[in-house]
Amino acid sequence: MGQSLIQWGRYRPGAIPGHANRRADEDPDGRRMNARSHTFTFRLKGFMAAAAILTAGILLQTAQATAETPRRPNIVIILGDDMGFADMGSYGSEIKTPNLDSLAKGGVRFTDFYTHASCSPTRSMLLSGVDTHLNGLGNMDEWTAPNQRGVAGYEGYLNNQVATLPQLLKDAGYHTYMVGKWHMGKAPGQIPAARGFERDFSLLDGAGSYWDMYNFTGAAPLSVFTEDGRYLTKLPDDYYATKTYTDKMIEFIDANHGDGKPFFAYVSHQAPHDPYHLPKEWRSRHVGEYDKGWDAVRQARLKRQIELGIMPKGTQLAERMWFLPDPVVLAPAARAMLGKKMELYAGMMENMDFHVGRLIDHLKAIGEYDNTIFIVFGDNGAEGTDLFKMIAGKPGTRDFLFAAIKWSQNHPNAWGDPGSYVGYGPMWAQVSMTPFSQYKGWMGEGGIRNALIVSGPVVKRPKESINHGLLHVADIMPTLLEVAGASYPKQHNGQDLPPLIGKSWVPMLAGQVDSPRTEKDYLAWELFGNRAVRQGEWKIRWEYKPLGKADWELFNLTADPAERTDLAAERPDKLQEMIKLWENYAQANNVILPSRSVFETLEDQLPPRVPDDPGYPPLINKKQFVPPKDMMAEPKP
Amino acid sequence: MKNKGNWQKSVVWSGMVVAALSTIGVFCPPQGMAQVPARFYWKTLSGGNAVPLIVESISGNTNPFDSAHTVTPGADFDATLAILGYAHTFSLFDRSAMAAVIMPMGRISGDVTVAGRSVHQSAEGFGDPMLEFDINLFGPPAQKTIPDAMRYEPGFSVDLLADLALPIGEYNSDKSLNLGQNRWYGRLGMPIIWQLGSWVPGRRTTLEFLPAVWFFGDNDDYVGQTMETDPLFQLDAHLSRDFTELLWGSLDAAVYNGGEPTVDGVQGKELSNVGMGFTLGYGVNENLNLTFSYKSTLNDDAPDDLRMDVFMVTLVFGWHPIIEGSRRLQGQE
Repeated sequence: MGQSLIQWGRYRPGAIPGHANRRADEDPDGRRMNARSHTFTFRLKGFMAAAAILTAGILLQTAQATAETPRRPNIVIILGDDMGFADMGSYGSEIKTPNLDSLAKGGVRFTDFYTHASCSPTRSMLLSGVDTHLNGLGNMDEWTAPNQRGVAGYEGYLNNQVATLPQLLKDAGYHTYMVGKWHMGKAPGQIPAARGFERDFSLLDGAGSYWDMYNFTGAAPLSVFTEDGRYLTKLPDDYYATKTYTDKMIEFIDANHGDGKPFFAYVSHQAPHDPYHLPKEWRSRHVGEYDKGWDAVRQARLKRQIELGIMPKGTQLAERMWFLPDPVVLAPAARAMLGKKMELYAGMMENMDFHVGRLIDHLKAIGEYDNTIFIVFGDNGAEGTDLFKMIAGKPGTRDFLFAAIKWSQNHPNAWGDPGSYVGYGPMWAQVSMTPFSQYKGWMGEGGIRNALIVSGPVVKRPKESINHGLLHVADIMPTLLEVAGASYPKQHNGQDLPPLIGKSWVPMLAGQVDSPRTEKDYLAWELFGNRAVRQGEWKIRWEYKPLGKADWELFNLTADPAERTDLAAERPDKLQEMIKLWENYAQANNVILPSRSVFETLEDQLPPRVPDDPGYPPLINKKQFVPPKDMMAEPKP
Repeated sequence: MKNKGNWQKSVVWSGMVVAALSTIGVFCPPQGMAQVPARFYWKTLSGGNAVPLIVESISGNTNPFDSAHTVTPGADFDATLAILGYAHTFSLFDRSAMAAVIMPMGRISGDVTVAGRSVHQSAEGFGDPMLEFDINLFGPPAQKTIPDAMRYEPGFSVDLLADLALPIGEYNSDKSLNLGQNRWYGRLGMPIIWQLGSWVPGRRTTLEFLPAVWFFGDNDDYVGQTMETDPLFQLDAHLSRDFTELLWGSLDAAVYNGGEPTVDGVQGKELSNVGMGFTLGYGVNENLNLTFSYKSTLNDDAPDDLRMDVFMVTLVFGWHPIIEGSRRLQGQE
């Protein structure tokens, strides 16, 4: 389908690499690549005999054709770790992200793009195009439940049942580079170099210090890094994650620049994931700006989102989490202290944007920018859970001791330094996910819906436009295969491959359709026992208490994107219809609900759930009564 | 999950931070060698209060109650000096300011040997109370709220300082050794703080200077004579560094130049001296700070050189009504 919808001059997406329309200087690499691809190898060998007969005349025609054929586009994926839907300026944020916004200006923003609720599941679908319960990330490695152990699809790393996007792109003649967070396995057969990346500089863990190799637990005190398939014994001098990742990616691109092959660059930033480690000069760009509190910032972001067209008029904010105070009742010191955490987060975003800008500038300088597709998104909802407290919060434990030694720089003036650990909490996570409800780990829109920017030669839609089509992170694999002129093989390394669950965006990016999905297509998720299904304007979700009801809830996302009103009781027919979809999904993908969950005791940890009613109780919200001036008097003697 | 109680903890914690800040540095200038310890001019939350108690043991050839440090050649004095004071911080034109009053008291005794003859002298009682006013001219704005205090970092800051001693201390015109000085005197200075590196308790480092000029009125009844003293230039310098969040130390230096005395037209020698020393400071709790210092003059071989060594212990109790109230509510008292 893509072949008929877009064309790169004489290059057609879906065309076979090594075909006569390739540039002459690509042929040697193309042959080497085809030797690794069974399909292409047999096809090429068959063609070679015929090609020999046709000889000079055809070669002349080929030479003329290739002279007019532009290269296939480069691909850059920029992944912000825990970056929220509303954290970029082009999505209504007050955070200054001019470089990311410049991509939005030249491309398209999407408002209905779904990831998974947590990082490694999202990444596994990005790089495999296969559902998490089949690709090995049916649960996060850190939370594999007893009943999931040893079950295929729940390995906790990207399993070998799937082919990866970099493997297939490499087979299609692309250079494949990765920097940043991997989080899909640490063993030699699981690392980026083993899964298709020619060059890499990778943090294998899910998080860690931005300044050094320290991680968070006494059991695994050091983060594990690889560079080009070798495990690092130390980090480079002058290491700072976001900067170093960018430096390395630029180095990788430059090393092969000029050999005629396009590249696939996976820039998997650790930022803005906590801890908010940040160079000093980036910490003080928003001093006092967030003292006004999370409600005011959410309202301001929603207002801008409506003005920008990101959200429709009339959109309401999701309820403030019931366990969070209305900021207006907090003392200035509390607002300042909590606001400073958001100042740090904003700095993380701006620093990441700066380094994205460095990469953009470099591609412009070497003449590759115009032929590069950028795909920018966050891997899940913003982080509202205190990871550090979860690990090191109990005095007397091994991890508390480890934190006391390595992670105790907790004075606000030390925030950002090595040894400090700051996360911004659920109040600011809700801001990052404006206007949605909930955050990372949960199936509310705030957990799984994220911002997405696509720009570059593949985009034929109007520049700076906004699209509301239903998209999923697993769509990226078929999209990029189509862009690269490759196809998804039935087998890889002699094994049958599971089906891709995504749909190519190429027709949609070409402006032929508004969504890769019909109203009947549906998406489904399960993680930590929380689950959801989205079809058209409807969504059901089942979540642990107290954020959920431990029962199915039904929402109409067109009317209620913030999921304020559960329609399960009102529309039992729709609910049952959607539950059927869930059952289909669970069966087709071997979903095993976990016997243990990170959220299993949450109801005992949070205060009882109550509605968020503004101004309640009047006891602490009613302002001082001021009598009429003409009725005031001094006391009589 | 951090949800439960996270924001309440922030309130408690920030209050404790500010309480600690409010006690650091708010104490008044001792007169021994006329040098205040490092960190004296660090700023704190407006509305803070402090009561310093400073005890010094001093020996040398000058009267430590006399800020002019007039040298008495051949003298060998020993003094025990206590200073009690009160300081209050406030904001003035959006700048940090402090007003303080101190009351020196103690005793001094010693022998003066001239041409082989020794004369013993002693004095005790109250010295001249001194008023002090300090306002920041360049640097961070006044800390009018707790958030301001939380965000305080001195960076590079410059103050204007004015001291005025009231000549009401005990004075006996029959003796040359007194606690009161029987004349007006005071000082104008520009305290400077230069923050080196980050402002994190446990890692703070500063270079601090206090260039100042002391001005002296005439004592028209100095053992029946009139004593005039030229202005005295003084430069205090400190390199201060945290060792832990509560323990810090500093290397201290003081340079004196000028202050030439004239008694009934007979000129004395102007000062040109250098003193060196060190200080250790410790935050005992949120209200109480303790310092220990030792200083001694260096180029003091000649009989008319300034010679003095000082042991000093300071205890400073600081408080702020908001912090005290918060702590009462939290049941921490």
